[in-house]
Amino acid sequence: MSAVAAAAGFPVRWEGVRFGYTGDDVLHDVSLAIGAGESVALVGPNGAGKTTLTRMLMGLVRPRVGRASVGDWDAATQRPHVMARRVGYAFQHADQQLFARTVADDVAFGPQRLGIGTDQVSAVLQELGLSDVAGRHPYDLPAPLRKLVSLAGVFAMRPGVLVLDEPTTGFDRDLRARVVGALRRRTEAGATIIAISHDLAFVRAVAAREVVLEQGRVVADRRVVG
Amino acid sequence: MKPIVRLRGGSFTYPGAPAPALHGLDLELRRGEVTAVTGPIGAGATTLLLVAAGFAPRLTGGTLAGERESLAVRPGIVFATPWTQLTGLCHTVRAEVAFGPASHGRPREQVLAVADRVMGQAQVDHLADRDPHTLSGGELQRVIIASALALEPDLLVLDDPAAELDPAAADALYALLREVAEAGAAVLVATPDVERAARVATRALRLEQGRVVKDGPPSEVLA
Repeated sequence: MSAVAAAAGFPVRWEGVRFGYTGDDVLHDVSLAIGAGESVALVGPNGAGKTTLTRMLMGLVRPRVGRASVGDWDAATQRPHVMARRVGYAFQHADQQLFARTVADDVAFGPQRLGIGTDQVSAVLQELGLSDVAGRHPYDLPAPLRKLVSLAGVFAMRPGVLVLDEPTTGFDRDLRARVVGALRRRTEAGATIIAISHDLAFVRAVAAREVVLEQGRVVADRRVVG
Repeated sequence: MKPIVRLRGGSFTYPGAPAPALHGLDLELRRGEVTAVTGPIGAGATTLLLVAAGFAPRLTGGTLAGERESLAVRPGIVFATPWTQLTGLCHTVRAEVAFGPASHGRPREQVLAVADRVMGQAQVDHLADRDPHTLSGGELQRVIIASALALEPDLLVLDDPAAELDPAAADALYALLREVAEAGAAVLVATPDVERAARVATRALRLEQGRVVKDGPPSEVLA
């Protein structure tokens, strides 16, 4: 396998964050710090606020009160395409980020837009076992493989911070192992990883720390026992 | 009891595909049963759901060879991509869930009663006044399940319906599938979660490369 490049990570911090879509807040005074190079799982019941919290790192959601930052950048003051230089975000619903006519073109889109070249595309496709479908239309693939393609697109941007929202939905053991291997390589390279997941086997395999959210509040923050 | 859906030698090919996605499928679905379908990714489970419910080839195009008989008059489906099932027309969860029965022309009080009942079953009653577009993935998945139940389906097919649910919600969903079957529907669920499926299924199929390679009791097929 050709070398897979990954960037060193940035610290991530939420300080006194409050937010609501309509009416009541869904995040209540959340403060959380993740160090550069840490691998952290965000867990908790549906609707706890996990996705909302991480979307702040891309500037897709702005705190009503408080601050979310990546390194020295306040995410609320940057446009999402600027935040993409530091944060790679894999959405829970992969189809929201697939639009090219081939898998290879889709994976190449991010690095092209960032101006960092596409030399990583074939390596990432190979790393995730997608080389054989590189010329296929993403929507001709089963949903779990589309999810894997969306992850490949994020990896190819070589972000310092990887935010993955339910990255193993619908995966069997083989697909999960591919993602676990890819994330471990990026952890070794120093990337910061934040994964939202209900997949306990995945969490044990990739995360050193687990933060539990319930009803918009951090209720536990602990080491993961593998 | 006569099966609600029967396939004999069913083979299905998507438009333009060089080979069938399903080959020589024999299948009978009966009211009161929960049938679990499992297999590797790409084995044809999603296609089987579409064919069983009559959505393929009617909505997908393609060709179905073999025999298919169906007595189902109200098939309901929950896709593996629930966000694609929102109507896009409703500003509250209650309206979203009520959309199906309302579009069938049922009286308003009946529609609201059904919506309230199925929102309770799917555990989304606390979200009734929320905009569906602001929900989390797991909340949205439960709303779509409620919307399918609101049609009071006699055949309910679901594609990995707990994929985005937290463990407690996933347990509750599988228990609900059993209740739906016991109330008289036929339930067909494709899932990689063999542990939960084994708890509620009355029968299981394993697919590989578009063919049924095992068909029998869950204790044997899902082991």
